Amino acid sequence: MAVNLLEAFKFKMKNTAIHDLDPRTKLYFAIIITIISLIFNDIIPLLIIFLALIPLFLIGRIFTQWLITLRSLTFLAILIIVLDTLFISFNLGVAMSIRLFVLVSAFSLFFLTVHPDDLSQSLIQMKVPFSIAFALSLAVRFVPTLALEAETIREAQMVRGLELQKGNIIRKIKNFIPIIIPLIILSIQRAMVIAESLESRGFGAQKQRTYLYPLKMKLKDYLTIIITTFIFGFLIAIIVTGGLPSWIYFRFPF
Amino acid sequence: MDGEFLGIMGENGAGKTTLVKLMNGLLRPTKGDIFLNAKNIVSLSVAEIARIVGFVFQNSDHQIFSKTVEEEIGFILKNFGYEEVEMKEKITKTLNQFNLTQYKDQSPILLSGGERKRVALASILCADPQILILDEPTIGQDALEKRKLMDLLYELNMNGVTIIIITHDIEFTAEYIPRCILLSKGQIIADGPTRYLLANTRIIKETSLVEPQIAQLCTLLDFKNEVLTLEEMKTKILELIQR
Repeated sequence: MAVNLLEAFKFKMKNTAIHDLDPRTKLYFAIIITIISLIFNDIIPLLIIFLALIPLFLIGRIFTQWLITLRSLTFLAILIIVLDTLFISFNLGVAMSIRLFVLVSAFSLFFLTVHPDDLSQSLIQMKVPFSIAFALSLAVRFVPTLALEAETIREAQMVRGLELQKGNIIRKIKNFIPIIIPLIILSIQRAMVIAESLESRGFGAQKQRTYLYPLKMKLKDYLTIIITTFIFGFLIAIIVTGGLPSWIYFRFPF
Repeated sequence: MDGEFLGIMGENGAGKTTLVKLMNGLLRPTKGDIFLNAKNIVSLSVAEIARIVGFVFQNSDHQIFSKTVEEEIGFILKNFGYEEVEMKEKITKTLNQFNLTQYKDQSPILLSGGERKRVALASILCADPQILILDEPTIGQDALEKRKLMDLLYELNMNGVTIIIITHDIEFTAEYIPRCILLSKGQIIADGPTRYLLANTRIIKETSLVEPQIAQLCTLLDFKNEVLTLEEMKTKILELIQR
């Protein structure tokens, strides 16, 4: 499951209209979608937002990857529905699990179509300090490495007779100690090596550094931002004037 | 292949690791069966196979996690469900065998690279596997450590343990390992006594290996029978001088 969830953050270079947009445009879009989905607590509007996102995944040709991500969320979604039904209401449970799907979708649209280098570049151009942006892109870069390493460690402990699935729940958690500890030690060791190799290549030698490929907003970026803002403003206006039709607030009778 | 001493060589991506991982159940065959002591292992769990097949990973840092060397070595015994008394006995024996007794209460993480490798090997061997597989055991080891490792493996082999070593270290193979399998692109391209294989220029080229220097010298000197170790070279030269 954990490995599948990472599928959401694995970038593959493709030549589509979505990939072509500036990262900042897509980030803005993801944030607006997040805000809209937080405004509504009902099933129908959240479902509409969710369905409206689907064409974007088709245009970006990342539909399958997106489905894999969603599938790995099923367990969490069921958990939300069960807990909400027990303590609050079934309607809220369904709505909240759709909201989870919307939120993850909005950001996986961003992560699946933004090159990791562009990600840090766009942060820098949004005035985030270089060291922080760099740390973030390093973190993204090392996720697959870490996953691979965890797998090797798991194998190394399995041949020493470790059985992860054995025992009750506490035992099962304890079973992970022989995997977690080497993983942490190796990560710290690697951090040292990375720091040294960065310094040997002149990291931080100059306060102001230059960039080979600065990002540039294009006409379609401005258009996307304007349209997104317009839709958002329109929605807010309707909500404020109370003009939403009543079927929007549909609830299951139980 | 009981009690054999076998080397597996081949270029990167030839399938060496895949082959040995099939032997201990970490990978499962997509077709065909694997037999261990006349028993099909396809249905056995890794932990069950591990009682017979010991596997030492290349990087010892992938397995070291305990507070003390003693616990690290005892981990496998605990997993296999040994009794306290028998466990103590086996740990003490292994600590002695590997010259680790003075470190027994120290953290294995703080030991030197060579010592950590020894702890890793000890932590597999204390469960007395019948077959021992080592993935690149000579990487990062100096000549003396290699020598000691080999002495230990020979001794185990004498006592009937089958040893299988994956290695890129051709001088090491020529010096110590009697039988060798060469892999290339997932196929076994040669299998036989090391001395014949490593003297065969064509096979060596195909697996992207470089012949041991002594073998190269033999080719240059036109020695027809395969001389592979220093000792043999010395005898050969003395022979020539006396003639």
